[in-house]
Amino acid sequence: MLNISNLRKEFASVVAVDGVSFVATGGEVFGLLGPNGAGKTTTIRMILNILVPDSGTITYDGAPFSDDVRNRIGYLPEERGLYRKSRLLDMILYFAALRGMKRSAARAEALRWLSRFSLDAYRDRKVEELSKGNQQKVQFICAIIHDPSIVILDEPFSGLDPVNQILFKDIFHELRSAGKTVVFSTHQMDQAEKLSDALCLINRGRVVLGGTVRDVKKKYGTNSLHVEFAGDGAFMGTLPGVRRALLYENAAELELDPGAKIQALIGTMNGRIDISKFALVEPSLQSIFLQTVGESNAASAAPAEAV
Amino acid sequence: MIAKVVSVARWEYLEKVKSKAFLIGLFLTPVLMIGMGVIPTLLITQADTRTKVVGVIDPSGAVVGPLAELLESRYRLADGKPNYLLRPLTAGSTVDVKTSAAEADKEAGAGDIEGYCLLGPTPEADTVVEYRSKSVGDIQLVENLQQALRIVLSERKGLSMGLDTVVIRALNVKVDLKQVKLSKTGEKEDSGFLQVFFTAYVFLFMLFLLIVTSGQLLVRSILEEKSNRIVEVLVSSCSSTELMSGKVLGLSALGFTQIAFWSLMGVAASLFFGVMVVTPGIAALLIVYFVLGYLFYAAVFIGAGSPLTTEQEAQQVTSYLVMVLVLPIALAFPAMQNPDATWLKVLSFIPFLTPTMMALRIPIQMPSPWEILATILLMIVSIVFAMVAAGRIFRIAILSTGKSPKIAEIFRWAREG
Repeated sequence: MLNISNLRKEFASVVAVDGVSFVATGGEVFGLLGPNGAGKTTTIRMILNILVPDSGTITYDGAPFSDDVRNRIGYLPEERGLYRKSRLLDMILYFAALRGMKRSAARAEALRWLSRFSLDAYRDRKVEELSKGNQQKVQFICAIIHDPSIVILDEPFSGLDPVNQILFKDIFHELRSAGKTVVFSTHQMDQAEKLSDALCLINRGRVVLGGTVRDVKKKYGTNSLHVEFAGDGAFMGTLPGVRRALLYENAAELELDPGAKIQALIGTMNGRIDISKFALVEPSLQSIFLQTVGESNAASAAPAEAV
Repeated sequence: MIAKVVSVARWEYLEKVKSKAFLIGLFLTPVLMIGMGVIPTLLITQADTRTKVVGVIDPSGAVVGPLAELLESRYRLADGKPNYLLRPLTAGSTVDVKTSAAEADKEAGAGDIEGYCLLGPTPEADTVVEYRSKSVGDIQLVENLQQALRIVLSERKGLSMGLDTVVIRALNVKVDLKQVKLSKTGEKEDSGFLQVFFTAYVFLFMLFLLIVTSGQLLVRSILEEKSNRIVEVLVSSCSSTELMSGKVLGLSALGFTQIAFWSLMGVAASLFFGVMVVTPGIAALLIVYFVLGYLFYAAVFIGAGSPLTTEQEAQQVTSYLVMVLVLPIALAFPAMQNPDATWLKVLSFIPFLTPTMMALRIPIQMPSPWEILATILLMIVSIVFAMVAAGRIFRIAILSTGKSPKIAEIFRWAREG
């Protein structure tokens, strides 16, 4: 369990993290979301004791940071967290040793993970000879080889192809079933939605949204209309009762005002585009994200981004 | 705690010991040393194996004969043939000196003759005789020729003054200075200038290369860790103190590998050639200074290297440190001429120079025991200070990316931590 309370970190002129609190419990995958520059990385660095917070506390399974915690925590940096000129197996063993693992145990685990990720053939290769996706797999091994109780993953899916994304997700689920605390950061909302049990959305150093994914969605109600269609749907955002329209290729998600007349809406649209499917759905995290981040940015007098 | 320090040290050592820069330094340094120190000496003092032809332009016509005779009687090759053969290019005042000189220039240029002497019309009055040659570096030939000319010319001078030939011959005593180096206690050591000079030089250069190679390896590895996110993984796995201690330890192991390897080569070489360059006592003392200097500079390189963010900056900082390290090499000659000079002693007490200055001084003339004791103590204290300061800088700097911090800022880190 990772308990973060009222974390604050100020750099020369900016407040990077301003009163962030959240709890990630064991046996759950926790998503740390937010746009670029929101304070995710600073928060992660404080969790890892790389940066010391100006104020606030962090406890790891109930205890404050100590040398012992270093061995129970696993970390995957966004990318380029590997020695490029070094041999794969040597390097994995080094990182495992730094997390307090015995060499023989580390070797057995390393070989097991390498074969699970189909990297057997590369064990004596240099890191720089590996593709970006394979390097990401190696980083993942380095983060979990010592069986940590808390795993922190910074943008774990960057550079991964769909096959390996599934592999990573499987391991996420295994870690969760084993009762580990898994915290991962991302700015891709669809991933967060599929993977996390609970989340915390940070914007400009503050938590703007938090809780279990179910609670968050409940809070925003089932007031979204998902439409699949053919034709030009650009007009949809301007229809009466539509607060905001998220347009995709041949599909759209419409956020509705509470009193919106759905029948009338469909009728209006039907004349202008060819609707193949429509459904009333929970809002996606993407839409909640845009809504809350947009609102909070507008509230602080920033120019609202056009959607 | 200790386990992680050992892990870092082991990693740093194994990764660097396999690196090309290290291997090249390990093998190339002794080769360079031999190349720089031994081969020129050997070549200079090596006896000729073939007869060398030297031309003479002698307008008076009176010098060539006796000179040739003298050279032939004095200098012989190992196989009994004359070492030098004089070729009279012109003799007698009837010939124009300029024309024959121009011709001789061509011959010397073509390599038909080694060179030639250009004598004046009244050679016994001359104080300067020109020797023209393509290679002016043939020290032995020049020296022998000079000595023979001096004898022949003074003989002629003596004859013209009415002295007896026997008297003149008796006056021409051949004297060679054999150099004997005395140690402080007055015991004689049988080593000449060149040997002492090159010994001092070799040790100085070895210490220099030792520090520079590993210093550069260290700075480059810190830079790599910083420019990637490896440093985040490292700092979240172990404390910065553990990390730095491990690096220093690994680097020291690297240095000792180098010293041990070179020492072995040195011992093997002295056994093979039957020459004892230094006594075991001196060697042990030199190793003490090597170790101290190495540890001190390890701290300096960490302190100076960890705030850097680009390869260019690293090269700049390394080259400044190289200059400091090179300074005693430039001082080698004056130090030989006057080993008791006060400035040598003063420079020996500047921690940045102490190891190299002592490596220079010890083979030349053993400094007094109090100096040795005092400089060793000074180095130990300096190492402790440098390590603490470097640790403080390292802790902050290792995570700073982007723009490099200002020097004033780095000093503040070192003071305050």
